[in-house]
Amino acid sequence: MNTANLALQQTPPISVPFRFFLTAPLFGVLASVLLVWRGVELFSSRWNVDLLALTHLVVLGVICMVMMGAVLQLIPILMGVPIPHSRWVSTVLHLFLTLGTLALACGFLEMLPPPLHCVAHPLKEVSAAQLESVWLFKSAILLLGLSFVMFLGVAGYCLIQVTVHNPISWAMQLAFMSLAVTVTIGLMLGATFSNTWMVSWSPVMLTQWHLTWGLVGWVSVLVMGVAYQVVPMFQITPQYPLKVRTWLVPILFLSLIGWAIFYGLANLNQWSFSWSQLVEGVLGIGLSVFAITTLFLQSRRLRKLPDLTLNYWRVGMVCLLMAVGWRFTGILWPAVTTQPVYEIILGILFIAGFVLSVIQGMLYKIIPFLVWLHLQNRQLDVLKAVRLVKLPNMKQVFSERWARRQFWLYLFGLALLLATPIGLPGIVQIAGVVWFCSFLLLGYNLYSALWLYLSVSRQMVAST
Amino acid sequence: MITETLSNEHAHCDNLFAQAESDVANGQWEKAARGVADFVKAMGQHFSAEEQILFPAFEQRTGQTAGPTQVMRFEHQQMRQLFAQMQQGLAQQDSSEYLGISETLLMLMRQHNAKEEQILYPMSDRVLGNEASAILAQMEQSKQGV
Repeated sequence: MNTANLALQQTPPISVPFRFFLTAPLFGVLASVLLVWRGVELFSSRWNVDLLALTHLVVLGVICMVMMGAVLQLIPILMGVPIPHSRWVSTVLHLFLTLGTLALACGFLEMLPPPLHCVAHPLKEVSAAQLESVWLFKSAILLLGLSFVMFLGVAGYCLIQVTVHNPISWAMQLAFMSLAVTVTIGLMLGATFSNTWMVSWSPVMLTQWHLTWGLVGWVSVLVMGVAYQVVPMFQITPQYPLKVRTWLVPILFLSLIGWAIFYGLANLNQWSFSWSQLVEGVLGIGLSVFAITTLFLQSRRLRKLPDLTLNYWRVGMVCLLMAVGWRFTGILWPAVTTQPVYEIILGILFIAGFVLSVIQGMLYKIIPFLVWLHLQNRQLDVLKAVRLVKLPNMKQVFSERWARRQFWLYLFGLALLLATPIGLPGIVQIAGVVWFCSFLLLGYNLYSALWLYLSVSRQMVAST
Repeated sequence: MITETLSNEHAHCDNLFAQAESDVANGQWEKAARGVADFVKAMGQHFSAEEQILFPAFEQRTGQTAGPTQVMRFEHQQMRQLFAQMQQGLAQQDSSEYLGISETLLMLMRQHNAKEEQILYPMSDRVLGNEASAILAQMEQSKQGV
């Protein structure tokens, strides 16, 4: 029996996750260019259309890109269910997500800036989008819609077949449901911008729903599910307490539903906003429990060696705690929230500080492991006669020194962005340049892993 | 029952692994040599007991010989190769070689353990039912003999 082949049936081909992972830094570079190009103007208001373009380049192009690749890789390994037609599925998903993200970002960039007097609620005014951006939004709706519907379809199909459930499979299910809500609302907003379908609900309310379901329900819940698995795995820490693993994600999900209802009712002037803020408090506490538990477990790790992924995760958890603290400050002292910079800082802490850190940390572990695993599987595949070559170990896949430099650049860029309110001239542009270098370096590191994989593969077949 | 007992064995091996790795990183080669030997021995006993007692019982009950147990056997084989390479690094007192291999082994071992703890062991508990304790006793006995 060819057991290597059997193992390979479970592990999708390396090209499946790699196409997503290797595209992500390119979107990071694009986002950095936008940061340099538009500078401090971007941060005039959270409703600034250029900032919306930037946010979607990062959230769809970098974050969702890596998460899709990781989910396609993890479902077969953690749940024992292979992805059907994985090569074909990943090609279509990746193509549509890439083109859809570009179309959406261009759609926002093509929108006319809202008149100054309605900076507070510009979405109401810009919904009558001009011609150039209309077809871009329509393309984005079609491409992103198809990509996410197909992704959810495939993921749902696999999860239905899971026979043994555990906290990770539950977290994944709830994350996928949240993604479905996020995508539906996103498509409604896109339809409004492209004049395809005017939704009667307030675009501001829809936007709040869209980003909260997306960032808390989809991104954070998936990060939690994956963390339950990988935090103990990477550094040999104790397991997350069973109560946390069992209850935290369902509580967050239920709170999210409660929040959406209360927030919607408050927008219809039925209820006071204090109810939705109260539930926001529960969400904040839930996220803090996750961050604090993770930091605590990592402090009790058996493996004390220096580790870049650990650094990235620690930065991510601290930023998550800071984001929650910042939101609580806004709830307790509403005067703070009247400053446009309040929401910008919240977004930077959550998206750039928490999520991007965690994702980059994961890439630095998963990619070298996949390179080694696939080379090893090839070598052990008895059906394919290959030459035995010495395989690179995980630490030889890319230069640790360059990876560490990339981390410090990223951290420096993050600090500069958070220092924007100080108002130093050109600080946003400098942050953009630093992040440009950081994403370029991330790309260099990841692509050098690909070259190594290809060159060792070539050596294997060279003399057969 | 199987899930709990064998997951604890994994945890024990993880401890031995981490101790040996930190000894290598600190250049305490003699201590590391003893630690690596203990770790490889514990893993070897665990693998053999699974391959000779648990997996055949599981295969007999489910009729699946080409299923998850076969993948687990294959991964055991991959890990045994890494043990050998790790011991080579140890013999040459080459810490960067050792730590590169141990990082690779850790990832493979932990994802292998996760598959067993989350899929294979709970399935074994379900299909083996009352036989589980007898199987565990046999596995324990086989280790005494090694």
